[in-house]
Amino acid sequence: MIRTAAILLVAGLATGPAAAQMGNPAGMGADTRMAEPGKPAPHQTNNTDRLFAQLAAAGGLAEVDLGEMARDRADAQEVRDFAEMMVRDHGDANARLAELAEAAHIPLPQELDPDHQALRDRLEGTEGAAFDLAYIRAQIVEHQKTAQLLAWEVNAGQDGDIQRLAADLLPVVLGHLERAQALNGELSGAGVRILP
Amino acid sequence: MPGRRASTFACVAGLLLAGPAGADPLPPDTTYRPLPTMPLSRVRAIDEAQKPEVMTRQRTLLESRYDLADRPRDGAMMSGGTKPVQDGVRVKLPQGASWESLGALSPAEIRDQDLLPKGFLPLPHVKQATGGQVFPQFAIDEIKAQEQRDLTRFDVDFDLPDHLVSEFPPPIFLTTQPQLGDASRGELLTISNHYELFNGLLTPVQMEGLRILLTPFPQEEFNQTEDRKTVEQHRGVACLDCHSNFHGNAGFHQSPDIRPQANRFRLDTPSLRGMFNQQIHGSKRSLRSIEDFTEFEQHTAYFNGDHVSAARKGEHIPDRSHKVAFMAQMQNIIDFPPAPQLDPFGRLDPALASEQELAGEAIFLGKGRCADCHDPMTAFMDNQMHDLKLERFYKPGEVVNDMVTLPDGPIKTFTLRGIKDSPPYLHDGRLMTLADTVEFFNLVLGTGLTGDEKEDLLAYLLTL
Ligand code: HEC
Ligand code: HEC
Repeated sequence: MIRTAAILLVAGLATGPAAAQMGNPAGMGADTRMAEPGKPAPHQTNNTDRLFAQLAAAGGLAEVDLGEMARDRADAQEVRDFAEMMVRDHGDANARLAELAEAAHIPLPQELDPDHQALRDRLEGTEGAAFDLAYIRAQIVEHQKTAQLLAWEVNAGQDGDIQRLAADLLPVVLGHLERAQALNGELSGAGVRILP
Repeated sequence: MPGRRASTFACVAGLLLAGPAGADPLPPDTTYRPLPTMPLSRVRAIDEAQKPEVMTRQRTLLESRYDLADRPRDGAMMSGGTKPVQDGVRVKLPQGASWESLGALSPAEIRDQDLLPKGFLPLPHVKQATGGQVFPQFAIDEIKAQEQRDLTRFDVDFDLPDHLVSEFPPPIFLTTQPQLGDASRGELLTISNHYELFNGLLTPVQMEGLRILLTPFPQEEFNQTEDRKTVEQHRGVACLDCHSNFHGNAGFHQSPDIRPQANRFRLDTPSLRGMFNQQIHGSKRSLRSIEDFTEFEQHTAYFNGDHVSAARKGEHIPDRSHKVAFMAQMQNIIDFPPAPQLDPFGRLDPALASEQELAGEAIFLGKGRCADCHDPMTAFMDNQMHDLKLERFYKPGEVVNDMVTLPDGPIKTFTLRGIKDSPPYLHDGRLMTLADTVEFFNLVLGTGLTGDEKEDLLAYLLTL
């Protein structure tokens, strides 16, 4: 069941809105070069694009790292499957982001940032069912924050390619969030909004 | 399982507490509105260059979702008698589906097969990233003619065709002078004519309230700073620029006090008719009195829900015990339009109603379950918010014209009195006709109405 969900989500990655993003030019970088009047040339970024790319890359890196950890250490099969999905989906997203960041000359982090390192350390101190729940609850927070960041980039970025990637990823990330919430419900009895 | 739950709880609680403290917050402008980084002249040049494409993109979206044709319903006019009510279901069905076939599927099936008609989804603002107030051209023209104040924006125009929105100027009905009928004399109330039109009808307190409701103050994209979308430094917007004659003109903006900019949603201007009966205000904010709402709108709401920007653009803080009360008293004497077939219980008088209208009322009260929320005794609402959970039918997160499609959550039950006068429908104006609302609620509530029952219900809604 998780498998089909994952396949659907990945299929979702392929499609995306074709129409160009059209943001508020008041927030553009002052040095933006235009391809034609009103249209920034490809890979022209503003501060939102650059900060987004770095934060999303840091999050994505941690998703894969923690996913690999949970894939091996989790107790419940569903949690291991979820972790596997994180490794795959975020691995793919990280690669796409890296390509666009390189084109736009945005340096991306290569190792875990202190926030995620602290999370990793905390998770390492748990095992069994306690690990499962701690991992899934941290995943809920991570995906909540990522969804906010993605919407922020869609809204306030200016590099159309990065914005389209963010738009592509949003439903996937919300799908992960929903799945993590469902797992949290199964593991702990926490309430869920919509039954699958 | 329950055993496992209990045993894991203690340690996880500790873990989570140790967690977020000290972590980096999300970037500041995920909540706060950033100041412009570009000079206004360049912003304007870019906006003007983009404008045709922005409007084409919106038009394409609208046409893909709706049949926008001008198709009036036979014999059905809005209350002022100047504009016909539009007929027919306008939301387009997905290929191969019918309303009956959709009604036979479960919400999860509709979601998984991507069959929810797109017109049922949240409707984006013409320019999500910028937002701000957008007025129909006919309202811009009339206000400019009367006040030499121009509500034209250089970045966007209004998006819906005129025949799909309310009549203009709308009639005004006063609770204090029911014998007059429409007191508008066919004019749009503005700061240039209100005294002439209403002297003798209002008390001094009401007149002062009206004056303030018609006085422009700097707002959102209409202000004197470089964070604006008008060519000239702008005098601002008046309450009744949107709530034309205390009704509406389908002008819209984005929900101010709900979500930060990236996730804000479109709001269609609601009518202020019947405010005297309403106990919660705003589709999601549930402000508890007309006074609260009035004060707050001037304070921050029309600065994109951002009191920090408001302070910079020039907020107007009306004195609560004095001016706010006056404005509220004025709003509280605006009546619903006449519904001569309704008795004092809000029920159809059988002597005055047709068979079909009576059949429609029976469905409204019975099989259609409309009256569970739109209670005839309390002006066809319940002073509650309800979560219709539309996202049972679709996968959230799709970005449409730069707007992230997210669940609506609980929304205020709007009144259905005078409902034929105020298209488009729902808080964001995503439905063009009453026939659309019947299909929407039939699907969302799972009431399984037949074609004839829907027709009857529609005939009934027109009597309200
Ligand atoms: C952009 C045009 C616009 C302007 C200007 C405007 N409004 Fe509104 N008004 C709206 C919209 C849109 C809503 C719906 C708000 C919501 O759903 O949260 C609304 C809602 C209201 C409501 C609550 C209606 C209900 O059914 O809950 C009141 C009362 C109201 N406005 C009064 C005012 C007053 C007083 C002012 C001036 C201070 C004002 N409005 C200015 C568009 C406008
Ligand atoms: C569970 C409560 C509930 C029931 C039952 C219900 N409604 Fe509503 N109705 C609402 C809410 C909440 C809204 C506002 C939704 C929004 O704006 O997103 C609304 C809005 C409407 C509107 C649009 C009002 C406007 O000003 O735009 C119409 C028309 C309407 N309902 C008709 C019906 C009909 C017809 C039925 C029965 C088939 C029905 N409703 C049943 C809660 C309900």
